[in-house]
Amino acid sequence: MREVISSSLSDSEGKPEFDQDLVDAMRWFDLSDHDRALTSELGDIADDVGERIIEAFYTHLLADETASRHFRDDAHIAQVKKGQMRYFRELINADLDSSYIADRRRIGSIHERTGVTPTLYIGAYAFYLNKLANVVLDRMEDDPAKAFSMVLSLFKIAHFDMALALETYADTREEAIKARERELSELPTPVLQLRPGLLLIPVVGTLDSYRARALTIQLLEGIQEHRARAVVLDITGVAAVDSAVANHLIQTMAAARLMGAQPVLTGLSAEVAQSLVKVGVTAEALSTAGDLQRGIELAEHLLGE
Amino acid sequence: MTVTVPILRQGSALIASIQEDLCDSDILNLQSRILEDVIRYRANAVIVDVSAIGILDSFGTKTLIEIAHSVKLRGAKMIIVGIQPDVAISMVLLGLTLKDIPTALDLDHGLALIGET
Repeated sequence: MREVISSSLSDSEGKPEFDQDLVDAMRWFDLSDHDRALTSELGDIADDVGERIIEAFYTHLLADETASRHFRDDAHIAQVKKGQMRYFRELINADLDSSYIADRRRIGSIHERTGVTPTLYIGAYAFYLNKLANVVLDRMEDDPAKAFSMVLSLFKIAHFDMALALETYADTREEAIKARERELSELPTPVLQLRPGLLLIPVVGTLDSYRARALTIQLLEGIQEHRARAVVLDITGVAAVDSAVANHLIQTMAAARLMGAQPVLTGLSAEVAQSLVKVGVTAEALSTAGDLQRGIELAEHLLGE
Repeated sequence: MTVTVPILRQGSALIASIQEDLCDSDILNLQSRILEDVIRYRANAVIVDVSAIGILDSFGTKTLIEIAHSVKLRGAKMIIVGIQPDVAISMVLLGLTLKDIPTALDLDHGLALIGET
């Protein structure tokens, strides 16, 4: 279901498959034209008492310390109130189409950006619905059964609404996490020339397979560019590597040797050493040194200096 | 089309510079010529330059290793120079790490390497 909603969100407007997703999502919420027709009848009541409810709604909001922090001044509050009126009018009689969804999604992302938490959002929504439901029941004393089904239909749409907003929350967060991950993985690893023929590559941070691949290419191209005959790969700043990355490190060192550079691996933490042993690497197969200083000394020795 | 790799003499070293991708029979041809020339010219080192090669498959690598070992048995040593980064990566992925064969970045480094010993 989650996929249906988020895909209906992520597709751009007007695509044919978009409407199918919308239909699926509405079926899941058991939303029909009948519901829409019922809530539309609430239009007059909502217009009549809308402002009063919104006043009460904001009194409630501003009484809460966390919620009130989201409002700068009275002008801001007035502006938001006007938007709120429109929002609730749409809740009652707007067509549930792609532009409605796009609009709800936009509002969700504004909320996310300004730091309105889901608790704050749903709590406020519930407050409003409760007020409105009470008014509807009051006004329609003569036909409580119909009033009840109207309120139920309204609740369906409200839940659909909340689902849209929360999906947007999740999407925005996920987007942020992905961006952060990308940033981290693109963190460049410098290839430093210590002296002619000797390269130093300090690796800091997490080493995932994406970054390990990038490292291999940088190292091999660095060897060619600097005409290096020895390379010290220092992984002191790497806390742990999984076995795939450990394997990759070993392959990188072997490739460096094929290009005529003596590779030296330094700064292995206990965990990294263990993962290397697990993938079947022994110290014989590669030159290692406990710390960077001894690594550089070893590399110089290999260079014959 | 057969490709005959020229084998040049530089001091007491032989230099075989492979200029294009070789087929299996070309490599075998190179193998027999190197082994003959090592004795004929009393060479003490052989440098095989592969810098123009875009790919070294397992047969080519296996033959190179064979050449290296046979050259050693004939009293000289062999080094391979000029393996390109992407060639190096694909060789390693195939498990071809040329364990006992010295390598160098290019011909220049290769000559320096045999000059030292």
